[in-house]
Parts: sequence; C-alpha cells; structure tokens
Amino acid sequence: MQRDASAHASFLPPGLLERLGGLDVVARTVAQGFVAGIHRSPKRGAGEEFARHREYQPGDDVRRLDWKVYGRTDRLYVREFRERSNLGAVLAVDPTASMEYAGPGGVPKLRYAAYVAAALAHWMLGAGDSVGLATFGREAALELPPRSRRGQLHDLLLRLERLRAGGDAPAAAALDRAGERLRGPGRVVLVSDLLEEGDGEATVAAVGRLRARGDEVVVFRVLTPQEEGTRPPGAGLYFDPERPGPGTPAAPDADPGYAERVRAYYDGLAARLRERGAEYVPLSTAEPVERGLIRWARTRRS
Amino acid sequence: MLDFARPALLGAGLLAALVPLALHLISRRPPERAVLPTARFLSPDARTAVRVRRRPTDLLLLALRVLLLVLLGAAAAGPAWLPVRGGTAEVVLLDRSAAMDGPAWEAAVGEARRTLLAPDGSVRGALVLFDSAAAPARRSGLTPALFDSLVRAGPGGGAADYAAALREIPAAARELGGADSVRVTLLSPLVWDGWRPGLPAVRRAAWAGPIRLPDLPEPGNAPVADAPQSPSGSVVVVSPPGVGRYVSAALGATGWSPRAPDDGEPADAYFLLDPAAVPAPVEARVRAALEAGATVVLSGEAPPLRDLLPWEAGGDAGPGGALLLDDGTRLEGPAVRVPGRPAPGSQVLAAWEDGGAAAAAARSGRGCVVYLAADPEAGRLPLSAAYPRALARLARGCDAPGPVPAGGVPLDAGARAVLRGEGSASGAVAAPRDAAGGVPLGRWALAAALLVALAETALAYGGRRTP
Repeated sequence: MQRDASAHASFLPPGLLERLGGLDVVARTVAQGFVAGIHRSPKRGAGEEFARHREYQPGDDVRRLDWKVYGRTDRLYVREFRERSNLGAVLAVDPTASMEYAGPGGVPKLRYAAYVAAALAHWMLGAGDSVGLATFGREAALELPPRSRRGQLHDLLLRLERLRAGGDAPAAAALDRAGERLRGPGRVVLVSDLLEEGDGEATVAAVGRLRARGDEVVVFRVLTPQEEGTRPPGAGLYFDPERPGPGTPAAPDADPGYAERVRAYYDGLAARLRERGAEYVPLSTAEPVERGLIRWARTRRS
Repeated sequence: MLDFARPALLGAGLLAALVPLALHLISRRPPERAVLPTARFLSPDARTAVRVRRRPTDLLLLALRVLLLVLLGAAAAGPAWLPVRGGTAEVVLLDRSAAMDGPAWEAAVGEARRTLLAPDGSVRGALVLFDSAAAPARRSGLTPALFDSLVRAGPGGGAADYAAALREIPAAARELGGADSVRVTLLSPLVWDGWRPGLPAVRRAAWAGPIRLPDLPEPGNAPVADAPQSPSGSVVVVSPPGVGRYVSAALGATGWSPRAPDDGEPADAYFLLDPAAVPAPVEARVRAALEAGATVVLSGEAPPLRDLLPWEAGGDAGPGGALLLDDGTRLEGPAVRVPGRPAPGSQVLAAWEDGGAAAAAARSGRGCVVYLAADPEAGRLPLSAAYPRALARLARGCDAPGPVPAGGVPLDAGARAVLRGEGSASGAVAAPRDAAGGVPLGRWALAAALLVALAETALAYGGRRTP
C-alpha cells in the first residue's frame, strides 16, 4: 500500500506564505516540502537516470562497470545513463489582468503562480537544469533566458517579485518564444488561469507546436474557489477585468449552472491539451502550493 | 425599576427609530459592481439587477441606527433607576418636648409603635425624635423594647421646634430606599411654642407631601375647631340693670342656664359686661371659678380682671363690620370696635372682616379668659340671627379645657392646616422619586448613544470601502 506522505505533511496555506518573507524563502520552503512529499532527494538530480547496459569496450570508464552482472554472467557490461543534467526549462507565468483577482480572504492568483514558479525553479536549478522565465501580460516577453548558472535563481525570483498584473495577451506567443530559446528538447511550464479568447485554442496550438519539437509541456491552471464555483460569490454586477463592459447582473451562489460551465470549459481545455501530450495540473489558490506539485509529481511517476 | 421623568420623549425616540427601519425595508440599490474573471460563465439574471442588495453589515447598521435613536430618546426622557418598590414606608416625627408631658406621651409612643412596627416585628419606616433639635433613631434599633423604654423615660424638658423636625424629613425619607412612597406622621400636641416664624416656608421646602397629624387623646391637644364643648352649663351675666338681657336671652336660647350673680354657686361661664357692676366679692368668686375651670368673658374698652386680659391695648380701632368666629359663625354688625391686639400666646377666637382680631382667649388656671373687643349689646348685633351661636361660642372659651399643657397654647386650625399640607388628602403619600431618590441614567444613555454613533460611522465607512 502506498503511503500518502502529503496527507501527513504540514504544508503552509498560501495566505501564510506571504508572511514568510521574500520569494526565495517561499521557494525554498515549498520546494523542500515538495521534495519531501515525493520521497526524492534533490541531490540525485535527473542526470543519473539509468538508460541501458552495453558490452564493455576498451576505453570505457571502469567505474561504470556493473559488477553484479559480471558476477552472474562472467561478462563485462557498463551502465549507460540518460544525460539530463542540462535539461532546459522555461517557466511561462501569466500576469494578465485576470490574475490579479484574489477572492475574499485569499491570495491573488498571480502571487500563487509566482509561488509555483519559484518552487519549480528552486527544484529544477537544484537538479542541475537550466531555467528561464517568460511572461505575456501586456506583451509576450522572455524575461530571463534559461541558464543554470549561480545567481539564476536570484534573478528569476527578482523578476517574479516585480511582476504586475495587466493586459490580456494570450500565452501562445510566449510559449513559441520559449520554444525558440530552448536549444534541444526541453521543458516548458505554463502557470496561468487559461482565461483567453477563443476558448484557449491559441494556447493549445502553441502547446502542440512545443510538443512537436519534443519539448515536455506542463500546464498549471490556477483558479480561486470563487472562480471554480466551489465558493461562489453572492449577487452582484460582475465584470471580467480583461473584458471592459457594463457587467453582468448575476447571482453565482444561486446559479448551480455556473460551476458546471466553468468545469466544462476547463475539462474541454484539459482534454485538448492532453491530446497534444501536455500535462494539465489544476490548482486552487485555497490549497497549499506543495500539495498541487506533489499531485503532479505522482501523476508523472504513475 | 426604571423610571422616566419625561416618558413622552422616550416614545418620540421609539417613533423616530421607525424611520431607519422603514428606509431599510423600502431601499432599493443596484447590485454591487465586482470583479470576477470568470464572468463569462455567468448566466445573466434579470432579478439580480433589481434585487435589494443586502450586505452582511446592513442588519447591524440598521440595529445600530435604531439603537442610537432609542438611546437619544431615552437620554432626553430623563431615565432613573429606582429601587424596587416596597409599598409605603413611614416617617414618624415624635415630639419629646415638655409639652408632651402626661398621658399624651404614652399615647404618642404607642401610635409611633403601631405605625413603625409591623405585626411580624419588621420595621416599616424611620423614627425622628425632636424637641428643639431633631435626631433620627437607628432603624436597627426600632424594637418594641425601644418604645417601652421611651414610655418609661417620658418626654424631655425642652421646648419643641417643628421646623427642626420638618427639616429632618428628606434625610429620613432617603434612608427608606426600598419604598415607593413615604407617609409622614407628626405626633405632637401642636402648641404655639413649637411654631417659629417662617415655618410655613420650611414646611413647603422640607416635604412636598402631606403630613398626618393624629389627634392625641390628651384633651388639651384637641384641635380648636374639631371638638366643640357641649353648652350645657350654667352662666352668670354680671351687668348693671337694663344691660345684659340680650346676652342672657341668647345664651338661654343655646342651652345655657343663666343664673343671678349673687347665687353663690360657681357657674361654668361668666359674662362681665360692666366693670362697675363687679364688686370685690363677685370678682373673688369669678377668680375662684376661673381657677376651677370656668370661662370668663370680658368685653368693652375697660373690662375688669385686667391682669388676666388676653388683650393688649394700642393701635387704631379701624372699622367694625361683621365678626367672623373660628367656628364659622358670621355675626353681622356694625359693632363698635375696640382697638388693640391679642396678647402673646393667646388664641384668636374671632376676627373682623379686615382680618384684625376681634376676640381672643387665654388659659388661666383650669379656666379660660375670653375678651371680645366690642360691646356685645351695642348697635344691631343682638338683632343678628347668629347672635346666640356667637355668644355660645364665646362662653365655650378655650377649646382645651383642663390644665394648660406645659408647651402652651394649642395651634389653631389654620396653623394645623399649614402643617398638614393644604389641599392634601390625609394619609396620602409622596411620589417615589421624591421619596426614595434614584440613580439618574440620562448621562449614561447619552454616552451609550455616542458610542453607538461612533460604531455606526465606523461600520458604514468600512462598508463603503469594502469592494
């Protein structure tokens, strides 16, 4: 029986992460919780992943000889590993106007997205990967090219701290630009609420292009409970910050169809993303950041 | 018990509180404009556009506003917290001056005991002992033993001062915190010796309610106009020949038995109409009868027995006119008026229409000397229908037969009315507020209203800032 480590972990709620201090502390705290939750040491890294055995040839490093196989077969084999130490990754964070929404008593979605990106950057840079940052609020921009140098984490966290919500640019352009900057197949992580025109079709297409390049694509969808419909707000005149207008008089708390429509939208979007080989991870600003990341990691391992 | 001095203002506050309540019920506000990034998934609801917007703070705001108006009304209404009403309490003012000497003292102490001690032994009020000064007795000490000791000790030897007793009433009433009303009883022979100038003003200032004045059984303490003596005695009219026939006839018509001056037997009343007709033997007999309790009526400008005369010469005579006797008899004149005024300590039996004294009486021995400042047979006086009744009143003399109390001449009906309280019902009680004081709460209500106003402002301001 698999033990559910996350159930026993005492993760900090997002509201309390704000009090920890800067994003560096948050990133370290969340990453440690995340690693502890998936039972893996960050020291091992992705560069030591076993690939296959090959017959020994003169000139091979004797340190790679598999002596257990030699004892069983009297033949010399060396172990070959998949080289992942220089995996390139770009974190694409959504700073559009809708990401400023927090809901009563909650943290803004943009802040929550920054927690996710910071924790992932901390984790991946610790594993030897190179990590960059792209945003697409008012216009698509590659804030930080993927690198694994010392100080990269600091620069990335600094840019995350300075992110301000605004604009309504789609994620597609930023994803394309991220793919262009990755030299080989890499990893693109999108953290967004995915609220775009055209039911997010442009983003799905961009994800398809990345997958066609051989990139690994992970999409973290961030929503508040009010948007999800689990804690819908009361009656009011509601408007979308990315769609200026007179607003819609409605009572979400008295409309059971609201939550269903939201769920249908994101279910359809998730299905299209998965069709293109992307991983889709729904997150709520009401849950600890580590819990969502652990859920994602377990999905990958399974 | 909460009491309001001006309850109408409290009612006004309650009515005013209906205004915010009505506004709250009829107010229509558009729904609040709010951000929701997933607004595209909302289903437009026409009812929401006109539905009354209710914030969670609305009910609290309404409650604060209603409370504010009610508190303002209550503050203006003069609220006061009064102790729980416990019926009528008694304040007994017991005269322990020398005027109480005799049976009156025992009767007065008994009356005080019955008034202050309930049958179960509980104390129903406060006792104030007074003569020239007043001192309240400790409530815890009001026991049957105390009253027994008072009876044994008897009254003191000092003179009474009713003003001192009256001034003690408010303090004694305040001590009776648990009562909703207070009844004051004055146990005294009520003599002029206890009367001081300005006593009516002290009476009004000290106690707004009435004061009960029980009659003590001592005959000397009977009220002047309330205990008429039965005119069934014998009367001697001493006058020169041809004079006194109207007096004799009138007295005979009222039940008196006229006798001759030289009869030798002592009479109950003597009318000496002419000093020349009073020889020394007659005068001696009159004086002896006076000592024994008879009434001697003198009149005219030069009456005999001048040393006993309750009258002082002097002043202007003034017009005569009708005579008003203290028993209500009106004797039409015109009569010849003799100048002068009653002697100090004497009792006024009759007055002229202008208020001047017309007849006075004073004790002498066991008897009474009456002086009429007019000639009883002059002019048209004997022709008046009230003439017999007026003479009978004079023959009755002082209304307090027997020995004159050590305290002096009893108060007349007017003075008693002043002490009793004009227009007040006997035994009535004072208002609870006057009797037991109370804790004023107006300022506290105003302070509470101020706090509520601040809370309302903070809540309303904070509510506007909430998106």
